[in-house]
Amino acid sequence: MSAALEFCAIEGGYEPGLPILRGASLTVAAGEIVALLGPNGAGKSTLVKAAAGLVPIWSGSVMLNGRDITRVPAHRMVREGLGFVPQTENVFANLSVLENLQLAAALVPKERRGSLDAMFALFPDLDRQRSLPAGRLSGGQRQMVAVARALVASPSVLMLDEPSAGLSPLLVGVVFERLKAVRDTGVTILLVEQNVKAALAIADRAAVLVEGRERLVGPASELADDGRLAGLYLGGGVH
Amino acid sequence: MLQLIADGLVVGSVISLGAVGLTLTYSILRFANFGQGEFLTWGAYLAVSALSLTLAVTGGGVMTPIEPFSFGWQLPVAMVASAALTAALALVLDWALFARLRRTGSAITLVIASFGAALALRNLLQFLYGTLPEYYTREIQIAVRLVPRGALGDVMGGLRITPDQMLVLGVTAAAVIGLHVLLTRTTLGRAMRATAQNPALARVAGVDVEGVVRATWVIGAGMAAVAGVMAGLVGQIRPGLGFELLLPLFAAAILGGIGSVWGAVAGGLIVGLAESFSVPLFGAEYRLATAFLVLIAILLLRPRGLFGEKA
Repeated sequence: MSAALEFCAIEGGYEPGLPILRGASLTVAAGEIVALLGPNGAGKSTLVKAAAGLVPIWSGSVMLNGRDITRVPAHRMVREGLGFVPQTENVFANLSVLENLQLAAALVPKERRGSLDAMFALFPDLDRQRSLPAGRLSGGQRQMVAVARALVASPSVLMLDEPSAGLSPLLVGVVFERLKAVRDTGVTILLVEQNVKAALAIADRAAVLVEGRERLVGPASELADDGRLAGLYLGGGVH
Repeated sequence: MLQLIADGLVVGSVISLGAVGLTLTYSILRFANFGQGEFLTWGAYLAVSALSLTLAVTGGGVMTPIEPFSFGWQLPVAMVASAALTAALALVLDWALFARLRRTGSAITLVIASFGAALALRNLLQFLYGTLPEYYTREIQIAVRLVPRGALGDVMGGLRITPDQMLVLGVTAAAVIGLHVLLTRTTLGRAMRATAQNPALARVAGVDVEGVVRATWVIGAGMAAVAGVMAGLVGQIRPGLGFELLLPLFAAAILGGIGSVWGAVAGGLIVGLAESFSVPLFGAEYRLATAFLVLIAILLLRPRGLFGEKA
């Protein structure tokens, strides 16, 4: 399969001289779900934020469907086809559910604009809450608004930063089932997660990031039983 | 009593228009712009220049009033030109000063810079136009009874207001309703509300935040210019016009809940009414003080303002 998203030796961080990403490389093939795992402070969120244009990249490159998007401004990423759902504050709380989606749809060219009805069909819970301010929804419903907001711009690749954070185990299952449905529509997914078990259950492949570099990459089903995974989380190396 | 309400609503309308711009720039640019008052003054004076130019071009330099108002069609044209020029002035100021400081400075740096910009703008205006008062028209307006004597009793029958003052109320209502429609029904408005709430998420969602910032300056300064023209229509045009309105503008924006458009409108009207009622009660010299007493009282009871959201 061709690469949808490629990180090539990324170095970067929030403050000059304080690198968080130290040569991270990763390839996400078209149509797959890749889980990006790793201990706290490994640089997982920073890597996806860097791809989204929110964290400076000092060296290396990010390729989206073969196009270099390393220096593309954050607000142009949606038009390029890269969607991003941040971990927290990922909906416009003062805008209604419908307005959240209308805004996202209006910011991409007509031919890329997804149908709002299709979004409400994918997330039926939201259909009944169209006119409610997004800030008044439950955590799980907010995640669905955030994912729908990204999807309505028809991204070819969707990056999600810990979509299970703060959700009950039941809701995590619901959200992840929806993500599989999203992937089935042809969207490539890069999923940053702390919930290793749930992430590996839906991912095709996974990568473990430690200290700003990928240390372990492989099929999700194999990594789930790989003893090295726990070692990396506990601060050990790959043996 | 009713006359005081009518006078207060006219003053409050001008304050509301200016305060709406102030609250917009605060919520999206995240700093209190002390130059907002100068946009009112520049708007009023740029309309004087635009009016002179329009009158010179359209022949004779004479303005024939459109009954029942004190001005001719040239003044609305001048007001539109003034709003556009004031918006351009705000964009230049943003490009030369605020945009650079947004990248490197804190909010307090921007506030202090806006103080400096206000001083520079006021002095430049005095240099260009002088300090003598200007007028759009020398026509004398007779206040008309809103309700014929005897129709609703003598109290209502005594209520008088000039057609120009009624126009000020109408223009304010139209501008605020227009802004409300823009904010709730258009992509730009939704992008502005999204940016006010979370600029980083707005970028991720595809909003050109710098474009939204420019639009905010244009709308805020444009409304200030309209407020300046309205203030000049029912009073004198002086270099201190905006500076004298600056504190009421802030009072209105804070009173209504900073960041809330409808709050700024309500706050402006309350401040205008408080100023109007203070004159017979305490004397004209305590107008501002009374408005601030109301502000303090409401903030003690409701610290986030009338329409503000919980922190």
